[in-house]
Amino acid sequence: MDCKKILVAVDGSENATRAVEYTGEMMHDSAEARILLLCIERFPDRDLFPDEDSWKKNCEEHRRKMQAFLQEARFILEGKGIPSEHIDVRYVVSCKSPFADRAVARCSHGTSIAQEILAVLKEEGCGTVVVGRRGVSKAEEFLFGSVSSKIMHHARACTVWVVE
Amino acid sequence: MSSEVSELIRAYCPSFSAKHAGRIVEDTSEFMSVDHGDVIRLGGRHYLVLRDECEQRFGIDDPKYWVKRCREMESGERRILKLVFHETFPIKLGDFEIRCYRSPEKEARILNLVRGDLRFMQGETIPDAKGNPVRVLDIVRGRRLDLRVEDIDADHETYFHEHFPGILNKFMGACEAISFLHSRWEKHGDIRRDHLLVEYETGAYRWIDFDYAFDFHENPWGLDIFGLGNILLFLAGKGEHTTQNLAEKGFSDEVLSSLEPDDFTLMFANRLANLGKLYPYIPRELNNVLLHFSIGTYVFYDHVEEMLDELRPCLRLLGGAG
Repeated sequence: MDCKKILVAVDGSENATRAVEYTGEMMHDSAEARILLLCIERFPDRDLFPDEDSWKKNCEEHRRKMQAFLQEARFILEGKGIPSEHIDVRYVVSCKSPFADRAVARCSHGTSIAQEILAVLKEEGCGTVVVGRRGVSKAEEFLFGSVSSKIMHHARACTVWVVE
Repeated sequence: MSSEVSELIRAYCPSFSAKHAGRIVEDTSEFMSVDHGDVIRLGGRHYLVLRDECEQRFGIDDPKYWVKRCREMESGERRILKLVFHETFPIKLGDFEIRCYRSPEKEARILNLVRGDLRFMQGETIPDAKGNPVRVLDIVRGRRLDLRVEDIDADHETYFHEHFPGILNKFMGACEAISFLHSRWEKHGDIRRDHLLVEYETGAYRWIDFDYAFDFHENPWGLDIFGLGNILLFLAGKGEHTTQNLAEKGFSDEVLSSLEPDDFTLMFANRLANLGKLYPYIPRELNNVLLHFSIGTYVFYDHVEEMLDELRPCLRLLGGAG
């Protein structure tokens, strides 16, 4: 396990920004740190839209925002002193994408973002995973689930940083 | 009045007053204007519109203008036609407001999936002249399970020992039906007491209404499981037990004073989950299942099967067919 190979999972939220900033603060003076910024694409259900066009438009907008966020996260890390060549960015497209790119080697089924993150964590041999947390109530967790809780419960052979 | 409608009425429904004959409707997009006496033509069949469907809310009839009670003229059978209505609206669950979508496509998909499976309402989807997927539903002739349970004339202990095991057995079958949907990546989406009917003729438990869609992702089955938990609490308690009605139910001060905030449900802080404190003959194993829905729980069910795995031994303990 390489604890300085760090996977930071982001989703465009403020919690994710805090997780990126924290990671930058912690690792800026480590010459060995390698950071993988990971975003798992998850589009809204097709059922929530009256027609294909409005769904596709929403998906395009979502993708644009996530990719811009990844770029911004890279700037944050570089701004904290992490060398650009030590930062990798990965955007895992949705298997349910309305776009032509879903036939890539790895795509996200979108049913559990946490499981997708854990799968990349294992493949990449990262020793640390970082996620932001909203601080949801028990009732919210029951209904909506929590990516950070699932990662805490299911991550093995690694360190988990949960940034509040 | 359309002469074609008058002729259809004369041929197929002579008892229907011809003076109410309306028009032939082939494009159902403007569902508000489809009214009593109109005839919806779909897939070569004709549906005489009798009235809009109503739902009782707070004792008041709430008309659903996109849902039409009809008579299929050729067969004489009663049908419910659900016309396309893409609606977004908030629903309130305890302190939460959840954005809900009405998806005709989702319901059409589930109707296909459960064709012939009598644990669910049956029907088919026929596109109208504009391609709107109209769901033509068979009517489930039955009564709401909760009303049946409320009507059982017995005190709780008698009910629990004599009636509940059979009810639990059938309810678990209904849970298995939901688990089947989940295994095909579909949600029911609107699991409520009034959406589980007991068929008059067979006594079978059957789910209705699958058109709600939500944007839940990390816990896709959470809302369905929450709904099942609510029904289970109702069935085990022979009704709801709330801070408002507990005092009327004749429990001792000692029992009432033993209730703590953790004993109430996660979503509704006035609704009791720890029924074992009121009814000590409820086996601990069953009460533990109920406690999964309480504020005090630290473990949630992610899948219906997890709940069923814990309910099966309870059924055996109660002497039901487990």
